[in-house]
Amino acid sequence: MSIGSDRWVETAESRTEGPRGWWGQGMRHWNSLPPLGRLGILVAVAALVPLVVSSDFLVRVGVNGMLLALLAVGLNVSVGWAGLLDLGFVAFYGFGAYTFALLSSDQLGIHLPTLLAVPIVILATGLLGLVLGLPSWRLSGDYLAIVTLFFSQIFLELTLNFDRLGVDLTGGPNGISGVDSFSFLGFEFSSSTSYFYLLLVLIALIVTMLYLVDRSRTGRAWRALRDDPLAAEIMTVPIRRLKLMAFATGAAVAGLAGSVFASFQLGVYPLNFQIQFLIVIYAALILGGSGSLAGAVAGGIVVTLVLDLLRDPAQASAAFYGLIAVTLIAKVRPWRTLAAVVGATVALGFVVHVVVGAIWPDAVAGEVEATGVFGSAIQSWVVLPEDPTTIGNWAFCALVLGVIALTRVSARTRTILLVPLLYLAAFVWENRLVDEPSITRQLLLGVLLIVMMISRPHGLLGTRRVERV
Amino acid sequence: MDFFVQQLVNGLTLGSLYALLALGYSIVYGVLGLLNFAQGEVYMVGAFIGFGVLSGLGGPTALVMPVPFALLLMFTAAALGSGVLSVTIERVAFKPLRDSSRIAPLITALGVSVFLQNAVLLLLGPDIRNYDASSFIPFTSGIHAGPLNVSLIRIIVIVTTVAVMIALTLWVGRSKLGRSMRAVSYDREAAQMIGVDVDRTIMIAFFVGGVLAGIAGVMAGLVFSRVFQLMGFVAGLKAFTGAVIGGIGSIPGAMLGGMLVGLAESFTAAYISSTFQNVIVFAVLVVMMVVRPTGLLGRPAVSKV
Amino acid sequence: MAPLLELHGVSKSFGGLRVIQGLDLTVEEGEIVSLIGPNGAGKTTVFNLVTGVYAPDEGTIRLAGEDIVGLPPHRIATMGAARTFQSIRLFLNMSVRENVMVAGYGRTQTRPWQAVLRTRGARAEEAEEQRLAEELLSFFGKRLAGFRLEQPAYSLSYANRRRLEIARAMATKPRVLLLDEPAAGMNPHETHEITELTARLRDEGGFTIVVIEHDMHVVEGVSDRVVALDHGTVIAEGSFEQVATHPAVIEAYLGKGAATTK
Repeated sequence: MSIGSDRWVETAESRTEGPRGWWGQGMRHWNSLPPLGRLGILVAVAALVPLVVSSDFLVRVGVNGMLLALLAVGLNVSVGWAGLLDLGFVAFYGFGAYTFALLSSDQLGIHLPTLLAVPIVILATGLLGLVLGLPSWRLSGDYLAIVTLFFSQIFLELTLNFDRLGVDLTGGPNGISGVDSFSFLGFEFSSSTSYFYLLLVLIALIVTMLYLVDRSRTGRAWRALRDDPLAAEIMTVPIRRLKLMAFATGAAVAGLAGSVFASFQLGVYPLNFQIQFLIVIYAALILGGSGSLAGAVAGGIVVTLVLDLLRDPAQASAAFYGLIAVTLIAKVRPWRTLAAVVGATVALGFVVHVVVGAIWPDAVAGEVEATGVFGSAIQSWVVLPEDPTTIGNWAFCALVLGVIALTRVSARTRTILLVPLLYLAAFVWENRLVDEPSITRQLLLGVLLIVMMISRPHGLLGTRRVERV
Repeated sequence: MDFFVQQLVNGLTLGSLYALLALGYSIVYGVLGLLNFAQGEVYMVGAFIGFGVLSGLGGPTALVMPVPFALLLMFTAAALGSGVLSVTIERVAFKPLRDSSRIAPLITALGVSVFLQNAVLLLLGPDIRNYDASSFIPFTSGIHAGPLNVSLIRIIVIVTTVAVMIALTLWVGRSKLGRSMRAVSYDREAAQMIGVDVDRTIMIAFFVGGVLAGIAGVMAGLVFSRVFQLMGFVAGLKAFTGAVIGGIGSIPGAMLGGMLVGLAESFTAAYISSTFQNVIVFAVLVVMMVVRPTGLLGRPAVSKV
Repeated sequence: MAPLLELHGVSKSFGGLRVIQGLDLTVEEGEIVSLIGPNGAGKTTVFNLVTGVYAPDEGTIRLAGEDIVGLPPHRIATMGAARTFQSIRLFLNMSVRENVMVAGYGRTQTRPWQAVLRTRGARAEEAEEQRLAEELLSFFGKRLAGFRLEQPAYSLSYANRRRLEIARAMATKPRVLLLDEPAAGMNPHETHEITELTARLRDEGGFTIVVIEHDMHVVEGVSDRVVALDHGTVIAEGSFEQVATHPAVIEAYLGKGAATTK
């Protein structure tokens, strides 16, 4: 690069030409399609899923994935576009679900037709979004986050305890059951497959609508608000109004998702809307790419897949080892080093297994969850004590410390340290984590959030951002 | 009247806890401009460490050493453990994000929070631990004069908190380190340019925050007995609000704010409703934060446009 | 005819610090007025007061005859006062084109639902805004045109950032343009360009301009009138020669005693 030249201009050619090879070519063709066309293709592909997949469980996973995708899309409006950290978002979801439940169940004896109930829910939740967005006029950043977090806590406590006020509005800790399923145009939505297609249509619709808003003056104003609220205001943008619009839009989308959820689950329970789920929504948006509609959808689907796969131990193991493999391939270069690390780890494992097995036969008597060839390989590779809990815990602590150490040492030491650490990770997985799927899910989410923000804050499909210093 | 005084004492005790936590939040927020969500979890870990020491010393009914020494050991272990944990969190999760957006460290802190809660759950199981402090510090000891019925445990808590506050105020006000912290809180770049070791200052701020949280954790165990993995979340929220109400960056402010929140909670539970105590307290806190974001004793920040 | 911009008896303090004191300033339509003074004199604060970032403690501010004290900044901007910033404040993650287009928010009408339904009005307005943005950017020649339109603002050179900021301010279709040190950090060639540009803005664009500047060459080359500020009040007003040789001004810049030696 010569002095005085503009890097962006110089790299312009490489940007328009893109990476070569079939991946680059494919991406270029893909990007040259009009956005509506791309969406259409994705929808068509997704529509094939229930036809191809045999188990209802997987279709339900798809439904959950699309619900989460819809929620991530809604959250994206406030967090990704307008830059307002809303930690109370899950309360909009809950409010939408509960409102729908109240309008379509025996709780109040009201059974509104779906086409009437859903718009009411959307409107009501949107209005709630307006009201709860008011603090954003005076507060920003962390303070706003805290206040919105309080709102979600208030919502949770109210739904849990409303019956103590005399009127049993929310069913207390037992929630509301017997919610009607959707039915309109003579069709009753009773199967998972029907909800799958319903959500597919809804996502396509909402994403298209939001895309068009993003490209309009409102979208530009939101992004200006995010980049520099004061400058935006001085450049004619009425930032207070736009903050409320962002909250209301996100809330409305959440309300819609809530109503679908309530009718799909045929009930609503307070535990559906706790902060644990808020963290899942955030993880989906962060992983996929905050600020990007495609990212929000992708994040929702990926996070749901990973979390739901973790329920079944065999699939979970596959996911775990797969994830490690992918990370290694992405991070360890060149290929020789990668091969060396993998080889050394495998060798180390077998050696340890043999040695430990010879000294303490009890130490390798445990069972492995994975089945088949892979399972037996693991069986003879990882040390599996009969009673793994205590030593598994110590190993977990060692693993955490080891990973922390990994971030502090030089590159050479890191590569060497990686070998025992990988084996330790497999050890911890097989002996402790596999047996505690719900805890493991949460641990994974926590780690995901930390790692994403540090290494790739713009997620998988987002664009890098520059912050004003 | 008796009832009122009792609630007052309860409120002050609870408030002491919140005050210590609030101070931790305030110091870190002052130095880094960061809301350390994970502080609540550090408090929870401190409580568990204290319990661990207690069990190691024979448990609440069969202590192998005199009570004052046992308490000292519990407090010290929890303070150090939590301090180290806090610094580790800063090094691993917050330091890499020092120059990124305001939102990034918040989300990372959420991640750390979730991780810590579940790591404790994994390692120690879901059973609730009980300090059962009345076994080794009987309720009957303490001040019992007229309407005033303060057990020794509560006296210890309140007195320790006040002592810590005074010590901290003196230290931050007089020492070089304290001055560094204040310098960094006003303008990090400028502080760096005049030779303040910003890195170390931030690390020490986190350490102090952790120590305070650890002490508060043991106090929580002594007063409420129950120690469980989710105890940090709500306590952390309330304590942070106490810090904001009192004025972020102000030590007396954190004390005042924490006490106010504790008193509000105590009186709400006693006189209005204990089911909805959280709802009411949260609602009050929201109002306070919106009405006066700079807090009661804080200085409104003037930024140059 | 009423002046375009009028400040009367304006005072502003921050905490205990009195930054502006009994300030009177008028700007007639079509003028180019330069605001000079040593650092800390309160020049940027005047801009902040006019654009509504701060409200004055005392005094009145009128824009085209209307009282603007207490109005939110976005209202004042739509009423016709636009500015650039001393330390540039672009929307870094938005493209060159979008930076300019977003400033048209107050002038335009398209509601979100109209954007979603792609009504004829919405599409026409969007096309018009695009055209306007390109036209404004072409004021600067080829520098911010062509493929540059899609360039994210964070990758622009310093000089281009300043130019973009000016283009963005122009996009609000203001009546008065407040430029805060537009030549700061520029080399002599670029500074000369800015001087010419400022004159062009008035002649071709029809803007009334108030410029804060330290570079006296620019001030000399551009101003119809110069106002000198120190410690928050006007200490001299008039043509460049009058102000530059005014003893109070020399004293403010160079200290006591310098006035006598000049």
